[in-house]
Amino acid sequence: MRSLSRKQILLLAAAVWLGGAVLIYAATGSSGKNEEFQPTGEFKLEEWLPLGFNRAVLYLLLAALLTIVTMVYIAKRMADRPNRVQTAVETVFVFMRDQIAGANLDRDMARKWFPFVGALFLFIWFNNMLGYIPLPVNDHEPISIGSLELPSFAIYAATANISIPLALSLMVWITYHIVGIRRQGLGKYFASWVPAGVEGFARGPIFLIEVISHFVRTISLSVRLFANILAGHLLILFMAGGLGVILGVAALGWFTLPAAVLFFLFEVGLVATLQAFIFATLTAIYLGGAVAAEH
Amino acid sequence: MLDFVTVLAASEEGGGSFLVKPGIGLMIWTLLAFGATLLVLRKLAFPKISEQLDKRQRAIEESIDTAEETKAEAERILAEYRQRLQEARTQAESIVARATSAAQKQQEDSLQQARVQREEMMEQTRRDIDAETRRAIQEIRSQVADLTVLATEKVTRKTLTPEDQRRLVDEAIGELDFEALAGSDGSRN
Repeated sequence: MRSLSRKQILLLAAAVWLGGAVLIYAATGSSGKNEEFQPTGEFKLEEWLPLGFNRAVLYLLLAALLTIVTMVYIAKRMADRPNRVQTAVETVFVFMRDQIAGANLDRDMARKWFPFVGALFLFIWFNNMLGYIPLPVNDHEPISIGSLELPSFAIYAATANISIPLALSLMVWITYHIVGIRRQGLGKYFASWVPAGVEGFARGPIFLIEVISHFVRTISLSVRLFANILAGHLLILFMAGGLGVILGVAALGWFTLPAAVLFFLFEVGLVATLQAFIFATLTAIYLGGAVAAEH
Repeated sequence: MLDFVTVLAASEEGGGSFLVKPGIGLMIWTLLAFGATLLVLRKLAFPKISEQLDKRQRAIEESIDTAEETKAEAERILAEYRQRLQEARTQAESIVARATSAAQKQQEDSLQQARVQREEMMEQTRRDIDAETRRAIQEIRSQVADLTVLATEKVTRKTLTPEDQRRLVDEAIGELDFEALAGSDGSRN
């Protein structure tokens, strides 16, 4: 048999995809709307162990461990002639040092706060990326093998839970205020909130607006990360069969599967890194703004 | 698509609110996990990576410096060699020129010397000829005198005393111009 041309392969794939959807629909039809299944249930947290240890905590600890082990392992065997992994880590390191910390902070601040900003980037990145590896953590829809109930494989991200981005955001928020007050003194720090050029009576209302904007930062910083990751996971979930389950049309699950693959690649390839980058960059910008006399 | 939206809305109503409800316990876990990560990375990972990067940066800078030095050194040596070559060439040319001029001078000298020698030899020859001529004249004179005496004897049958004869002959010869016999030497009348 002669090898198929690219066009023929594409046509064959399209035929399998559409024909499969038609065949599955013909075989199973529609079982009516499924009111029982809640997609958000995938993100519900059950307490597994005392001290509030649940799936999100497991993911947090796994991500922390992965971050530490990877970075320390690489750091321990840094060679003069780097291999590919070391080159990649070095590239990330230089990117964090020069683009995230260096570009938004002056030299002294960048040197002092690079570990904080860099650790934030890596921690969030590993948390995000861990969220795209299927792990046997789904206690919501277990697999029953005989009498044994095993958790099914699922993708879950700790950062898709508001508490985790919020905790990090609050930490950043408090940190940059402390840095600002320690550098400039209490009065001068708050005075620096008012932009340069605002004089007299206008200073009052402008200061109030700035106060609000500072508080909004905690919400914007945390919700941006949380919502992006949650939305990505929900989209993958819906496209990978969730929609078919809800509407009771199994064929729909097959039909939307390619979209799930595309969303998955999009999330892994772009969103996970981009959101970690934005979080770390904004942290650096906030820290830089806190020590600037006026902004 | 409309179904999709209603499904989403339904799922929000159906207990999705826990998604946006922060939990203090989880927040504390987050801070602990991040704090541990930060501590370990700051103590064990970042300094080593940074150090290695700085080390490599220095090594690269040193290599560039060394390469530049080597290049400058090579250029210096090349220039020196070129200069030496130039010098050698100049020197060779001057040696050849000197040799040529020396040879020429020597040739001229030997030519001059030969000329001088020839002159001297000619002078000597001339002197020898002169001396020989004079001697010959003297000889002829003497011969003529003797012959004259003999002839006179024969004619006169009288023998004079040798002294008288000699005196007479000498007087007679003295009147003769023998200078003509000297050839080129004497001025011709």
